[in-house]
Amino acid sequence: METRGQGLPLFTGICFLLGTLLVVQLWLLAAALEAARSDVPHVLLPATVASLVLFLVNAGLLSYVIDFDRRLRRQQEGGDG
Amino acid sequence: MSDNPDEKTPRWRLDFPIRWDDDNYVTRRELAKFLTLGSALLVAATGAVSIWGRNARPAQYPRRRVAEIAAVPLGGTLLFRYPTDADPCILLRLSSGRLVAYSQVCTHLSCAVVHEPGSGELFCPCHHGAFDAVDGLPTAGPPTRRLPRIRLEEQGGSVYAVAVEV
Repeated sequence: METRGQGLPLFTGICFLLGTLLVVQLWLLAAALEAARSDVPHVLLPATVASLVLFLVNAGLLSYVIDFDRRLRRQQEGGDG
Repeated sequence: MSDNPDEKTPRWRLDFPIRWDDDNYVTRRELAKFLTLGSALLVAATGAVSIWGRNARPAQYPRRRVAEIAAVPLGGTLLFRYPTDADPCILLRLSSGRLVAYSQVCTHLSCAVVHEPGSGELFCPCHHGAFDAVDGLPTAGPPTRRLPRIRLEEQGGSVYAVAVEV
């Protein structure tokens, strides 16, 4: 239970980080739309690459959450048994 | 007693399969999944916009006569519409004698900008935005983007609008 008690703030932080990165991605999408409408093509590729990098970070964080949960549950089941 | 596990399990547990102490795990995992799915959709949307932006053909603009060159005195202005009748524009003769034209629609909230004689600026009365008359760049107030410039050509004593540069 102590592990879970420490984990909650950690995962709250991770979810907050995920949400923040999502807002940055929204901003990148808005910038790409603006650039596409204004015929400024050199902005488009960096915006897409940056958005992809943020997605990979998000996917990494999600994988960490799932893996951590799995390990914790296995540990608890081992302790119960 | 039956060996079938479904018969041992109460009905309410089938409807609520998540244990109370597991609730936090499910909630945060689902939230993280939801946010990551949103992130994937945003990457896809940004990629689609990039492809569309790179493949879009440049807009074709008509060549339209605006006025006689002599009709615009030094420091004077003339209003016209380009490329369609729904697009108000302003033609100016700068103190240097050069003719320039811009869209009259403010890039902040689309009010009509007017020329301020003597100041060398185009002024938006709605929120006190100002643009440099020489290059259309914002110099004061809330606008952050330049006014779209109308490309002009002079021929046979007349000035023609030939394109819009955003």
